[in-house]
Amino acid sequence: MRECEKVLDYFNNELSNTEREKFEKHLESCDECREELEELRMLTDDLPFSSDPVEPPEGMKDRVLGAVFEEDKEVSEDQVVPLNEHRSKEEGPAHAPKPRGNRQRWMMSGLAAALAVSLIGNVYILSNGGEESVSEPPISESTDEVNSRVLLQGEATTASATAAIIRQNESQLLTLQAEQLDQLEGDQVYQVWLLAGDQPYRAGTFVANSNGEGAVAFSMDQLPADIDWEAVAVSKEPDAESQTPQGEVILSSTL
Amino acid sequence: MMAVVKEKKGCVMSNRDLEYYQKMMNGDKQSLEAIYDKYEKLLYSFVIKLSSDHSLAEEVLQEVFIKLWTQKAQYDETKGKFSSWIVTITRYTAIDLIRARKESVSLEEETDVPEEKGDSVEDLVEWKEKSTDVRRALSQLSDEQRRIVDLFYFKGCSQSKIAEECNLPLGTVKGRLRLALKHLKKHLSIQEGGISDA
Ligand SMILES: [Zn+2]
Repeated sequence: MRECEKVLDYFNNELSNTEREKFEKHLESCDECREELEELRMLTDDLPFSSDPVEPPEGMKDRVLGAVFEEDKEVSEDQVVPLNEHRSKEEGPAHAPKPRGNRQRWMMSGLAAALAVSLIGNVYILSNGGEESVSEPPISESTDEVNSRVLLQGEATTASATAAIIRQNESQLLTLQAEQLDQLEGDQVYQVWLLAGDQPYRAGTFVANSNGEGAVAFSMDQLPADIDWEAVAVSKEPDAESQTPQGEVILSSTL
Repeated sequence: MMAVVKEKKGCVMSNRDLEYYQKMMNGDKQSLEAIYDKYEKLLYSFVIKLSSDHSLAEEVLQEVFIKLWTQKAQYDETKGKFSSWIVTITRYTAIDLIRARKESVSLEEETDVPEEKGDSVEDLVEWKEKSTDVRRALSQLSDEQRRIVDLFYFKGCSQSKIAEECNLPLGTVKGRLRLALKHLKKHLSIQEGGISDA
């Protein structure tokens, strides 16, 4: 078949992958086929509106949207595999993080992968206002357990972050990865806080890379033991020295 | 004058869609829900027309909204209206699922050219506005033209299948289809003109 005769089958997605690629190449040079395709789209545009109204079955909306948001959760959990593997059985369902424009790319990105892997080993990434340094994770036996995992959001920002508290033997580790962050200026840092009552505790600082991503893992051994943490928050601070939030809290979530 | 008003109305409508869509892109579940509420019945009814299969229809809708939410399908407002885009995604999703299920869609019976029904008042303005016109335009095609449109658009048949079903030489299918679709559009625009005059 000549390429120009494949317009209909292309429109109906009837071509094999190789045929489709070949036809798409052809499209680049054949005005006639491009116009015909455009015409088909335009001429069939109104046809769906000829559908007879059919009442959807009872409860379809809940099932469909339930599955949609469930899917989102599965996708994100799949991508943070190491955390998932170490979740304890008693734990309730994780909060479904929101999707973001670049969520998939970011979740798959090296930093996230390295961070997630490092949690299995005993590498803590303690950053004090500098870049995080992710060293080669040692492979070791571990009894990590995700105690809680939450999504942090803010009113006035498109940024978001996922935080998890991971128990490693007797220690606890707070990890947080954020995306779509604003770029910082000067000595500014993003400061993570754990809150109990009205009292904020410093729980790591990080900066955003050029893609607006940042991450931190914080050993909670430095914090008073036996505190029932109520919330986690991220604020933008003038420097890494703030003992209480000086800048605005941009992201937060209850724990 | 009337045409201008119509144009404006369409514009406002798609802006609302765009607003929802953009909020949804930023993770706003309520906006996805708003899109769902707005298009549920149209898309469901459309898939029933494509497949006559209620369980498939629900599955298709689920796929479509997963594609929206996970951004596997992305809408580009420069390429047309949101409603056209979402029905197109729905059509391809339905065609794929029908094929995946390897169900041979019965070609024996032409999808009914729907009669006007008393209870067909829909919330979706665009559907309400267009359904009568499109049905009437379809009914003005010859039987063969309607059958070609049905096999091609609603059944998603290949060119050779259409040739076989309609006893046409392969090479003439495209020409016949385009002619049929152009007639359809012409009848549609005549009707729209008629409405404007009224
Ligand atoms: Zn061509």
